Amino acid sequence: MARKTRSDGRGDMLLGTLDMLILKTLLLGPAHGHTIAHVIEKSSDEALQVEHGSLYPALHRLEDQGLIVSFWGTSENNRKAKYYRMTAAGKKHLTHERSRWESLVQAVARVLGPALE
Amino acid sequence: MGWRRFWQRKLRDEDIAQELESYLAHEEDERANAGWSPEEARSAALRKLGNVTAIREEVYRMNTLALIDALWRDVRYSLRQLRLNPGFTVTALASLALGIGANAAIFSLFDQLLLRRLPVREPERLVLVDWIGSKVGTNWGSANLMSYPLCRDLQEQDRFFDGVFCRHPTVSYISTGDRPEPLPIEIVSGSYFGVLGIRPEMGRLIEKADDLAPESSPVVVISYQYWKSKLGEAPDVVGRKLLINRYPMTIIGVAPATFRGVDPAESPVLWIPATMNGQANLESIPLLSRRAQWMHIFGRLKPGVSAEQAKTGLRPWFRSMLEADLKDADFPRVTPEQRRNFLASTIDVTPAPGGRSDLRNSMKEPLWVLMAGTLLLLLLSCANVANLFLARGAARMGEVTTRLALGASRSRITGPLLSESLLIALGGGALALLVAPYVSELLLSFVSNKLSSRLDYRVFLFTFVVCVATGGLCGMIPALQAGRIQLFSSLKERSRTARLSVRLRKALVAGQVAFTLILLIGVGLFVQTLARLQAKGPGFATSSLLMFRASPASNGYSDVDAKRVMRELLQRLENTPGVESAAIANTQILAGGTSSSSMTIQSDRRIVTDRAVHFMRITPGFFATLGTRLVAGRNFEERDLRDPKNNETDYRSIIVSESFARRYFENRNPVGHRLGFGNRPDTRTNVEIIGVVKGFSRRTLRDDRDNIEQAFVPYWDRQAGGGAFYLRVRGGPEAAFASIRAVVAQVDPALPIVDMITLDDQIARSLTTERMLAILSSGFGAIALLLSVVGLYGVISFVAAHRTQEIGIRMALGATRRSAVWLIARDALVMIGAGIAVALPCVWALSRFVEARLFGVHGVDGPTIAGASALLGLVALASAMLPAWRAASVSPTEALRYE
Repeated sequence: MARKTRSDGRGDMLLGTLDMLILKTLLLGPAHGHTIAHVIEKSSDEALQVEHGSLYPALHRLEDQGLIVSFWGTSENNRKAKYYRMTAAGKKHLTHERSRWESLVQAVARVLGPALE
Repeated sequence: MGWRRFWQRKLRDEDIAQELESYLAHEEDERANAGWSPEEARSAALRKLGNVTAIREEVYRMNTLALIDALWRDVRYSLRQLRLNPGFTVTALASLALGIGANAAIFSLFDQLLLRRLPVREPERLVLVDWIGSKVGTNWGSANLMSYPLCRDLQEQDRFFDGVFCRHPTVSYISTGDRPEPLPIEIVSGSYFGVLGIRPEMGRLIEKADDLAPESSPVVVISYQYWKSKLGEAPDVVGRKLLINRYPMTIIGVAPATFRGVDPAESPVLWIPATMNGQANLESIPLLSRRAQWMHIFGRLKPGVSAEQAKTGLRPWFRSMLEADLKDADFPRVTPEQRRNFLASTIDVTPAPGGRSDLRNSMKEPLWVLMAGTLLLLLLSCANVANLFLARGAARMGEVTTRLALGASRSRITGPLLSESLLIALGGGALALLVAPYVSELLLSFVSNKLSSRLDYRVFLFTFVVCVATGGLCGMIPALQAGRIQLFSSLKERSRTARLSVRLRKALVAGQVAFTLILLIGVGLFVQTLARLQAKGPGFATSSLLMFRASPASNGYSDVDAKRVMRELLQRLENTPGVESAAIANTQILAGGTSSSSMTIQSDRRIVTDRAVHFMRITPGFFATLGTRLVAGRNFEERDLRDPKNNETDYRSIIVSESFARRYFENRNPVGHRLGFGNRPDTRTNVEIIGVVKGFSRRTLRDDRDNIEQAFVPYWDRQAGGGAFYLRVRGGPEAAFASIRAVVAQVDPALPIVDMITLDDQIARSLTTERMLAILSSGFGAIALLLSVVGLYGVISFVAAHRTQEIGIRMALGATRRSAVWLIARDALVMIGAGIAVALPCVWALSRFVEARLFGVHGVDGPTIAGASALLGLVALASAMLPAWRAASVSPTEALRYE
């Protein structure tokens, strides 16, 4: 049986990026998987194409790390759905990751220098 | 964290499945609102989500521990397989339960007697101090004997020891006010409990202050078990009095429950200070004599000092002690040679974390033999189970190749095989633990002592380790075999793999035959040893012969009164209805011990016996009671008694055995010649030989009347305070026992009778080790034979089934049935032959380990080997003939259609 690595489902996305996007989405308030998938797709102007299924292992992992918590609830169109809410630890993690990300972008920009043209 | 997830993995999988379903529902809703048809909406939603199973698997993998999951799967698969093949499972379980059970039982005994340490503080620092060489003096006990003053000397050697103590095990008559009971006690130095590091359960223990001057401290410490069973756990027991050989002593404390003395096989009921030895001990041992050897001396080494260092370091002190001893006033007169031997003695210090035990010393060797036998048996069981697996593996070849073709990894094929054999081994182990206590009980009934047949954690641990090892061993061969199966093998290749597996199975069976033969030859040797000892007998008729011991001198009588009581007892017993004859001997015969002395004989020249003569004191009725015949001269009469006022001689008359006469007088009649006890040049030869009697076994049945020299002197010539009564009776011994008790009670109701027993029983008891080896090895041999018959039958059935077609063709072409049977039987003969060929050199190599336990037969004994081989060959061949005959009985047409 072929073995899959964990990053397989996330296409070309940078490792850890999906986690950040999920956390960013949950900053606005609790949401279920379907909503999160669509928010990520829309807010990135559909530049980041995510296979929606790959969201779920990521959610599972974030929950295990204690960054988000889940609960079963009823959605806007009256269906059962599993909601996710960010924890304090999740908020801290997001801030930390964002500053790390920014310093990484700046560092890369310094190395590449101003555009040639 | 990881474990919680692991246990919840099923639940979480359902959760994720529901969640994905919820996503699909939302997505469908959205698309339905946009006007899609339900089918289109559904498939688009599925596309958007991706591979549902893959997502679930990914989450599942996050939650599981791969190795354990695989293991659990294997175990479930194995359990299913085992359930589907009850015949296979039962055979394998039974094989292993027998093998493991025997091991657990023997190990339990082995552990208690040979491996376990004393439950005392830092037992690894305990050592036994021993004297190697000639001690010059009198011994009370069997081995490692030292004098009490020597123990005191050693206590001052604080360069090496943190403490030294000594102990002497004996039996005393203990009474709480009722009839005295003979019970094991330990006579100990004041340092005993302190050096061992024992704390009292109640009261105090014996201390140095109790061991200062003779008779100063009449105190005892009782064992927890005695306190519980005899004194009803009375809380006020400290301060009470006990009668020890009629002497009152005060209980000062109770030892803890865990501590039962320094002999793992013998627990004393109480401990008495050595200074009370004169009162507590039935034997009269001069406490302060340096020539009385009776104590076992133990030391506690200082931290960092090894036994070897202590031994070397003590040498100068020991040497000077020997010199000083020689100058002692009570040192006997010795010849220059004896003096040289005495001075050549050395001191030995050996680690003794497990204490010291006579039983251990005598059982060590037989226990190793038994342990080796049971391990062989276990290997046999393993071979059988491996064989069963191989047979089933061959039958399941098709299934395995199919599974390989469907993508199963090799570990998934071999994994269940290993887990299956482990499961069977553990199941067999569990069954074995149910059986083991009974085998243990049986074993203990042979060694008859205070060891426990209860299985403790050490036995469980041992059994578990054995199970795992067994499971691995049983499963390994078939697993390796299964791992070799090639997926894209042609029919031809497959049959080659099958042939390889058959060859392996044949080798296993040959190995089983070899092991079984070794065990069967062992059975032959041990059974013959027992039978020959029983057939030989002691040299006199033992039926309706009784023995008991009594000792008035140890029960409050003066020497003169004791002699009178003994005379009265003998007279009354002789006149008791049902008693044909009665006699007294000063020591018991066939009880292991003896008194012996070298003698100087004055015939036409003066000769000194070249080996010690066993002698005993008897009353005139002794030979008639035993039924041994005088072959020359006469029996003792009144006139043979020594004149009590004449101190120049020990005895006036002596009777010697036929073997004695033959060795020292050749064909002449010894009657009328004189001899003396001792071998000094000035030994007086003033004892007259008045008769020659047929001898008998003295110490054990192994003594032959022809290979030991015996002499007999009158019982009444010496102190006659106690001895062994021998009675020839009519009718059953039970009636005689009752009348003997009545007679003794008439003379003195408080006089204890010790060891009342028929000679038949006594001989049976003296053959315990021989009987244990014979019975247990027979059991092992029978199990082994059964196992190898099952193994052989299995392989031959398999081979026969495979060759049915070939046989059909041969018979169609005109072969006879007999030649068809021969075709199969030849295989069996080769296996049996190979097994025997492997076994014989092993028998030769192993024989010297059992030689010492044998009697009348040698370790390499032609008839035994031939007999065992014939038995094994016949039984094995018979088990092979059945499948062979069946294969040859199939009609050719049917055989050709086969497969």
